[in-house]
Amino acid sequence: MLRYALTRGVLLIVGLLVSSVIIFFTLRVLPGDVAQLVAGTQAGPEQVEAIRKSLGLDRPLPAQYADWVGGLFHGDLGTSQLSGASVGAELWEKARVTGPLALMSMLIAMLIAAPFGVLSAVLRGRSTGTAMSVAAQTVAAVPVIWAGMMLVVVFAHWLGWLPAQGFPRAGWSTPAAAFESLLLPALTIGIVEGAMLMRFVRSATLQAAGQDFVRTAAAKGLTRRQALIRHGIPAVGLSIVTVLGVQVAGIIVGSVVIEQLFTLPGIGRMLVVDVGTRDLVKVQSELLVLTGFVLVIGFLVDLVHHIVDPRQRAEAE
Amino acid sequence: MSPFRSIRRPVQLAAIGVLAVGALVLTACGGATPQDTPTTTTGAADPNAELTVGLVLEPTNLDIRHTSGAALEQILVDNIYEGLVTRTQDNTIEDRLAASHEISDDGLTYTFTLNEGVTFHDGSALTAADVVSSYETVRTDAAVQGNAQFAGVTEISAPDDLTVQITLAEPDQNFLFTLTGPAGLVFKTDDGTDLKTAENGTGPFVLQRWMKGSSITFDRYDDYWGEKAGLAEVTFQYIPDFTAGVNAALDGSVDVLTAVDPNLVSQLEDTGEFTITTGRTTDKATLAFNNARAPLSDKRVREALRLAIDHDALVEAVGAGQTLYGPIPELDPGYEDLSELVPYDPDRAKELLEEAGQSELELTLTIPSIYGTTVAQVLVSDFAKVGVSLEVDRVEFATWLEDVYTNHDYELSFVLHVEPRDFNNWADPDYYFGYDDSEVQNLYARARAERDPDASADLLKKAARIVSEDHAADWLYNGATLTALSPGITGFPEDSINSRIDLAGVTRTAG
Repeated sequence: MLRYALTRGVLLIVGLLVSSVIIFFTLRVLPGDVAQLVAGTQAGPEQVEAIRKSLGLDRPLPAQYADWVGGLFHGDLGTSQLSGASVGAELWEKARVTGPLALMSMLIAMLIAAPFGVLSAVLRGRSTGTAMSVAAQTVAAVPVIWAGMMLVVVFAHWLGWLPAQGFPRAGWSTPAAAFESLLLPALTIGIVEGAMLMRFVRSATLQAAGQDFVRTAAAKGLTRRQALIRHGIPAVGLSIVTVLGVQVAGIIVGSVVIEQLFTLPGIGRMLVVDVGTRDLVKVQSELLVLTGFVLVIGFLVDLVHHIVDPRQRAEAE
Repeated sequence: MSPFRSIRRPVQLAAIGVLAVGALVLTACGGATPQDTPTTTTGAADPNAELTVGLVLEPTNLDIRHTSGAALEQILVDNIYEGLVTRTQDNTIEDRLAASHEISDDGLTYTFTLNEGVTFHDGSALTAADVVSSYETVRTDAAVQGNAQFAGVTEISAPDDLTVQITLAEPDQNFLFTLTGPAGLVFKTDDGTDLKTAENGTGPFVLQRWMKGSSITFDRYDDYWGEKAGLAEVTFQYIPDFTAGVNAALDGSVDVLTAVDPNLVSQLEDTGEFTITTGRTTDKATLAFNNARAPLSDKRVREALRLAIDHDALVEAVGAGQTLYGPIPELDPGYEDLSELVPYDPDRAKELLEEAGQSELELTLTIPSIYGTTVAQVLVSDFAKVGVSLEVDRVEFATWLEDVYTNHDYELSFVLHVEPRDFNNWADPDYYFGYDDSEVQNLYARARAERDPDASADLLKKAARIVSEDHAADWLYNGATLTALSPGITGFPEDSINSRIDLAGVTRTAG
């Protein structure tokens, strides 16, 4: 077990290093540069060159890469070329919006997916079950941005219950207002993600129903439904953990759209702005942190599987 | 199971994430446009009033010396930083830190007398030496905004604490106007302030807080040398999405919304609560032709494209603004109505294309994605009527800067050129328009050197006519910006607010 965790941990670090190389060099492929954006459309080549030099962009790429990674080893995510501010500090500030948003979205998604997914599997073949699964399919196909606009129309304009956009200036020091401003965006993501997740829960449940151990349980005298609920669903839980890990990553990437729509000062909007302004030192650190986050989730999911699922343990050893 | 397999998936995911973000960004960077506003008043102004103003484009940092962009000038000039002179909403020049100024008869020496009692926000007094050091930096540091416009400055001196003298090598009609922009702002000598995130100006407001990605808040500067600001606090709330901006106005989270999308303005009007103002701008919606490259190097082709565009219908589709048939807008010196040069005439356009041997023309329009789709749609359909098929290539603004602006790799391009008095671009053969006409260059040089403003404007007028007669580009429209004001707000600027929102005179009634 320890050996598995160590090997897996080393691979995690290798994965991060590989990602850092990919992120650094693929970003350099983007046309346009920050010096030109700073200089604007009335500037001559000399001015652009002077700015480029003052930003250290005239140095060779490998040297720029070494500077960046060297800083990372000391826990320094770098300094924005445009704003001169610490990337780490800003990332932490934005994470205080995106983190809670992702958690609330996941929670809402789970509250929708788990009961309705299992229910629609259990009710398979009946009209209620079919209706539920058609509904899920439809909602899952709704573009997040459209769902968001609909919710704004209903809850912000018609009912006036929730703010249509923005995050309180005082942030989490006014917790109620902060929570309220995240509610509509979280509902938007949660409903769409929940519908997708529900289809997954349904098919995982159905699959479990066909497994030998459920049939064995049924043969021992339980009804098919009892067997499914007692033995099948716990087995489904494990694969849901895996999917959740992937979903969280998806939600954070997806926050780009939703943060734009609701004008939330989170990680997604920060990335959009920073890529647009070619503040690449900042973008690469932000992407690496997100990548690291996804890799760590993958690592944890694998560890959980390894611990919980005896079949996997046997395969690994 | 192979641990490697399990790690590969997250790496792929991460890579997809990177790509996804990149793709999103391609659609999401921004140039923006603004508006302005007026007012209704009942009751007395509240000296403790706060105001929230919704804007589209957030600055990337606050260092107006090194960073270009309307987003910075819009909020910082006159509010936080001041220059010797400034400009009014209709672009006339007036004294600011200078109590008066004088230009010598030969047009070479500018003498400014400073106002007394001016202090920086850190409390220290402003002297002529601060002006000298600020302008010396502009003159000598190529990375500073306005450096090129200071090329003709030979000497900057301070005969005494309240007098600044600037000497030019040759007369320059543009020089005073240059001083109304970032190049003319005055900073404290050897100031240690990090201008990217903090400030130490002399204006009626001080920076209180900047929440990146969200808002910037100013407080009134109580020791201001002139008349103190009418508001205790102003917050600029940045809302890049037009629909979200209207939502914010409707739910009361912003008191003033600038740059209202004309297609959404009815939602605000319908409430009956907002006053909507239409402000003039110097935004020239420019359909650039690559004059240096075939087939657009052929004047007949350029003329045909201009004749094919129904400008009135285009303005209607855009929803705000007015037609503009030459390079100089109404608010700048040298404006003239040139509409007779290109009356809408698709038949004549077809003839010209045939004459030029281009009856089956295919062209590409490179347009920054920040500009919406209306203009491109209208052009595609207008050009199709004369047999020109137009492919629209939407790119991120940074990409536009590299491909079109720097490398001149394009056929047609669309950009809103917002800078006032930027006719110089038509006299610069290296500018991305690729337009090279010695008579225009000559006229422009004379206009700059001319000391009499009216005579200078006449020369510009002649030059602008030639540029339009050459069909060096098409000026699709002169932008206007809509601003929505909630009740009780007085004095909010109306015109040119995409380059300057002077808030000192804005007040709000109590309640």
